[in-house]
Amino acid sequence: MERKVAIIGQAQTKHSEDIGMPRERMLFELVKGLFGQFGITRHDIDTFVLCSNDFQVGRTISNVFEDTPVGAYMKDETKVEADGVWAVTYATTRILSGIYDTALVVANSLGGSEFRPYLIMDYQLNPTYDRQLGFLNELSTAALQARSYMDKYGMTDAQLDMIAARLLRNAAKNPNALQAKADATPGYVAGSDYLYEPLRKLHCYPFTDGACALLLASAEKAKDLTDNPVWIAGMGDSIESYYVGERDLFRSRSTRLAAERAYKMAGISDPMGQIDVAEVSTKFAHQEPIICEALGLFEEGSGGEVADKGLSEIDGEMPVSPSGGGLGAYPFSAAGAICVAECFRQLTGSAGDAQVANAGAAVAHGQDGFCAQHNAVIVLSKEEG
Amino acid sequence: MAFEMGPETRQVQGTWDVTTYRYKIEGKGMKLLCDAMKEKKIRGIRCNECRTVYVPGPTFCRKCHIDIDEVVEVKDTGEVGTFAVLMADMRGNPVDTERVSAQIKLDGADTWLGGTIEGIDWHDVKIGMRVKAVWADNPEGKLSDIDHFEPA
Repeated sequence: MERKVAIIGQAQTKHSEDIGMPRERMLFELVKGLFGQFGITRHDIDTFVLCSNDFQVGRTISNVFEDTPVGAYMKDETKVEADGVWAVTYATTRILSGIYDTALVVANSLGGSEFRPYLIMDYQLNPTYDRQLGFLNELSTAALQARSYMDKYGMTDAQLDMIAARLLRNAAKNPNALQAKADATPGYVAGSDYLYEPLRKLHCYPFTDGACALLLASAEKAKDLTDNPVWIAGMGDSIESYYVGERDLFRSRSTRLAAERAYKMAGISDPMGQIDVAEVSTKFAHQEPIICEALGLFEEGSGGEVADKGLSEIDGEMPVSPSGGGLGAYPFSAAGAICVAECFRQLTGSAGDAQVANAGAAVAHGQDGFCAQHNAVIVLSKEEG
Repeated sequence: MAFEMGPETRQVQGTWDVTTYRYKIEGKGMKLLCDAMKEKKIRGIRCNECRTVYVPGPTFCRKCHIDIDEVVEVKDTGEVGTFAVLMADMRGNPVDTERVSAQIKLDGADTWLGGTIEGIDWHDVKIGMRVKAVWADNPEGKLSDIDHFEPA
């Protein structure tokens, strides 16, 4: 990339089942808080990139209600539907174009209090076939994916529980997480009810109200505004066939391709050695090994062993989702932006109790669709490169 | 649901009643307005910085991007900002009696309030025309307490 783009700040809501205020107020306070960190106003933002989904907001062209609270009144504004990671990608390319020097990304949904995520996801099902069957929904397809991985690589239920327990413990170190338990054990997870076997309630993302804002800037502008920028070193994106029957559910080929693109751009040839921390959008515990393996962070099929050895713990060889990831909170649209924001916190040494020692390079992942059909990867670095 | 088989294309009936939503709305400015309407008055919120008066009042200024809460009363008189003559109902069916749907810039407000104009042939309605609110006899604190506007 000729021009360099940095993330210079992030803000998140305290994610909850019910944020207790209108979306407009939530966004206004979130963005004002972020501007306050830098003593800037909305007039310092060259382009606004929003991320929300019409079905989830329950109003078409959802961003028209979000523009004024985020400060985009009479400004350059655009919107992404899928997930906040794509909004970050879009904002980055807008700055790379040379036309803009600053961009504000704001992603949100009220999946805890305003709509039922599983019902909304049902409408992603193909109406002429999948929806007619009466036994497919987001959760049941995720359960098919879980079974596929577990059977292929011999991962046990107990190991799946270990992944979820680790994420819940990490979430307890994240002040913004919704679903958390400081002393979560595999037995605690195994004590939650089955929803669709092999998935139990505590293997799944909680219905979440929440939002995330990220401030991006060109190199010159970033250095004006902060001494602690985090650089976007690489980006990649890839999508699979819609139909789950046309995919290998035990692996994520699209994530692998997205990662290859991002790593190439970032000059990463050995992700295991060069990446210090990963924040991965896992809606369900079993998706963590599938995605991490596709990101090249662990060997294919090693999910059970990684869990047994604690390799992905905050102080492990390859810390994954120190924030608790999607099990801690999963506000649709914002989830991937939160992964980027959590990588930013890690690389700026501001991750508090979840801080990974000496984190210099991070990878953030976002997903959209059934069984993570669409995947995006962003590599972040403390080095300008 | 059964498939209807065509020679090349299959059609299947579907519905898209997505779900129900529990929308949260900012009620402050609307409550302020509705409470005022019980007294046949109209109140909005002014921005301390740019002095814009919004009716109904939001909780933050769109331009200055700051919290605002200064309550101001505006007049129930104003001028027509723009108007349209409704010759069909909201579903597009023709109606017998035309209605004038207008946006009124009330005296003291910087924004427009929607209302209908009666007591004048629609051919004679003009932008900039002075109008006055005609209130319901027993206002209940809802937007329909302004029954309509008429020429002033």
